[in-house]
This record gives sequence, structure tokens and C-alpha cells, in this order.
Amino acid sequence: MAATRPLTVTDVYERFVKGKKVPESEWDYTIIPQNLTALKEKYHIDFGDEIVPEDPEVKDALFQAGLEMLVETGFYCQDLGRVMKVTEEEVWEGIKKTPKKLILGEGRDIARFYPRQGNSPVKPIIQGGPTGSPVSEDMFIKIMQSYAQEAVIDDLVDGVMNTVEGKPSKSGTPYEIRATMQELRMTKEARTRAGRPGLGV
Amino acid sequence: MGLIPNGMKRSDLHEASQMNEMKVNNSFLNTVSGWHISGDNVMIEQMPIFGGYAGGAEETAICDVATTLATFAAFNGDIHLDGPIHIRWGNTTAKDTIRVAAHVACAMDYNTDVLLANQYYTVSGSGTEMCLLETAAQAIADTASGRELLSGVACSRGVAENRTTGLEARMMGEASSAICGTDVETTNKILNRLIDQYENKFATAPPGKTFPELYDIDRSVPCDEYLAVYEKALATISKCGLDF
Repeated sequence: MAATRPLTVTDVYERFVKGKKVPESEWDYTIIPQNLTALKEKYHIDFGDEIVPEDPEVKDALFQAGLEMLVETGFYCQDLGRVMKVTEEEVWEGIKKTPKKLILGEGRDIARFYPRQGNSPVKPIIQGGPTGSPVSEDMFIKIMQSYAQEAVIDDLVDGVMNTVEGKPSKSGTPYEIRATMQELRMTKEARTRAGRPGLGV
Repeated sequence: MGLIPNGMKRSDLHEASQMNEMKVNNSFLNTVSGWHISGDNVMIEQMPIFGGYAGGAEETAICDVATTLATFAAFNGDIHLDGPIHIRWGNTTAKDTIRVAAHVACAMDYNTDVLLANQYYTVSGSGTEMCLLETAAQAIADTASGRELLSGVACSRGVAENRTTGLEARMMGEASSAICGTDVETTNKILNRLIDQYENKFATAPPGKTFPELYDIDRSVPCDEYLAVYEKALATISKCGLDF
């Protein structure tokens, strides 16, 4: 069961509305790089050659730096040109109240999603699909079926259909939602052909 | 029961993206607010750019942790989908970007129990051994660093039409399963050997082939030629120390 989060998205929007106005170029080219560099130096973060870190101090320093970056720098809303901030307490409360177990899909095709700790012997959920890559209308079902048929796959992720009924599925036009709905119908058909109609998307 | 016939179900992952870096817009807020109120599973994506506004590996990783925390603290996300991306090559499978993702996942995993995902963008195209090696390397690092979901694979940087297939996702899953439970020192040795197989080839990466060229499209199964490439990739990865 999910708990009520400490902040709703509308709370966050209100904070943006009342937040400090900052030019986007200043955010991108000054505030972000300067604050990140300062935190890297403050927490003495140096990854060296290691790809996966083993030292708990390295992991903790990075986490503390990221937490401070969010709390002290905040987030920027491009439409409003303003910055909102959250407190450290709100971050911890948000983590605490985020669900740690989810079920993806339906029926016999569900995938149970719960935390792994470190390199647990339990494998992660495998979500297969073109991951936003462009797919032609005529190949959409067959490509999605190729993923749904893979035994190792627990969940699907769509490609992006380039056209719908021959028209470009251009962002911001009615063809965008029409193409999205067609992607979902075709993905349903691909799952059915693979004998896994309940796979999540 | 689905909310809209043939639409998304609550049990599907509803995905929205933050913007680079540490930015959102009203459309994002509107979308995730609606999904959260409806009780949908919400996955929030952010792909920090290595070499972009943030800078180097450590700075990109700090930014990545901050955006991951924001997903849970501010935007009512249930899962965070990562994907540090290389500014020069446009992939997530470079050593630098794999290192960023692994450090971020370990930092989050060490301090929290939230659900973490990562996504896959290779430089090389579908049907090539290099694409499968890129995929395997990231799957090994993501699994060893505690991530809960792997999402892919967008071959050819995710920009070429019909150049993805189920077989790349099979490699993502098989490499992930094979590395599960392995200690970090061994994992890093395997990763270094494996990434050395492809990292100096980004500038000349093979484009690969399209889905109809690689699959029997009547049955949506890989053709023998591509299965042979897959077997060769498994052998190469095994030589790097991963036992399938």
C-alpha cells in the first residue's frame, strides 16, 4: 500500500511560482556547474579507476553531495523561470513514503518489483524494447513481438512509431497522441501473439 | 481492469522525463500529477549528460543523485529511470557513463531502498557483436551496483529506424543473470576486460542491420546468422571472465 507523500506535485508547483526568478542560461552555465564542482571538492569525491565502487565512504560521500545539491540548489521550472527548493527532511520523508514493492503487468504475466541490495543473487526486472527508438508502422507489431517472445524479459518498453496511417507522428500535433494510442494497441497485439497478454508496458 | 480500452493500465509504467540538468517544465508537472492521482505506477526518467552542463564524471554523478532524489521527494515518482549519456558518443555504454551510473546506483542503494532503473543506448547497431558487448557491459555494472530494472536496448544511439530487436534484450538479461551475486572486485575485472573490447571503436562503430534483415519476420525470431553473432559475443564475454 502506498503512503501519502510529504509533497504533492501541486505543492511543488506552488513553490516554483513563489521561487526565485533565474535566467535559464545562468542556471545552465553558472549555477549547475559551479555548485557541482564545489560539492565535488567539499566531499573529496574522486572515482579513480574503479567502475563499480566498493568503499562505503565513496558511496556515502556521493550520496551526501547529491542530497546537498538538491536541497541547496533546488530545481528549475523552464516555463516559470523560477527555482523551488525542498528540505532534507522532505527528501527523507519522500524516500520513506515511496513504495518499495510494485507489480507490473497482469495475470500470469506479472513481474514483482522489489529492492535488491547490492549485487543480490536475484536478477533485476528485464524491460525489453526499442526504448524510444524509431520504429516503422509496418514493423511495429513484429518488433515488439520479438521482445515479448524472449523468456528473459519481464516487461516491455515501446519504440516510437514514426508515422500513423502514413502521416508523421509529429510532437505537439494530434498525430502524436494518435500514434501513441496505436503503439499501445499494436503492443497489445504483439503480447497476445507471443502468448503473454498480461506483460506490463 | 484498464482505465481506457487499449490504453495503459495502472500496472504499466507511466514514464515522464525531467530535463537536463535539474529542470522540469509545466507539462511534466501536469502529467505526473495526473498519473499519481490516478494511482498509476510512475517512472521518472533523467539522463544526465557526461561532459555537458554538469562536467566530468564526479560532477555528473552528484547531479544524477540529486535528480534521482527529486523523483521521490518532489515529483511523486515510484521508480527512477537513469541513463547517464556521453556527450561525444551519445551512448550509455562508454566506460565513463557506466562508471557514473554504477557509482550513483551504489550511493543510492547504500543509503536508501528506493527502486532504481537504467536504460541502454549503444553506439553500434543491431546485429553486431559490438552492440551485444556494449549491452552486456552495462548490464553487468547495473546488476552489480544494485539496480532493480534494466530497460533496453536502443541500438545505434536510439536514432535509427527498425534497428532494434529482441536479441539485444536477451543479452541484457543473460549478462545480468550471469553476474548476479558476484563480488565487486571480480565484477570490475570482468568489466575492464569487456569494455576494452569495444571502447576504442566508437568512432568506427558498425551500423548493423535492420530488423527484417536480422529476423524471420513471419515468426519474429532471429535468423541463424544473427544467432551465430550472438554465440560469438557470448564466447567473447566468457573469455573476459563471465560464466554463462
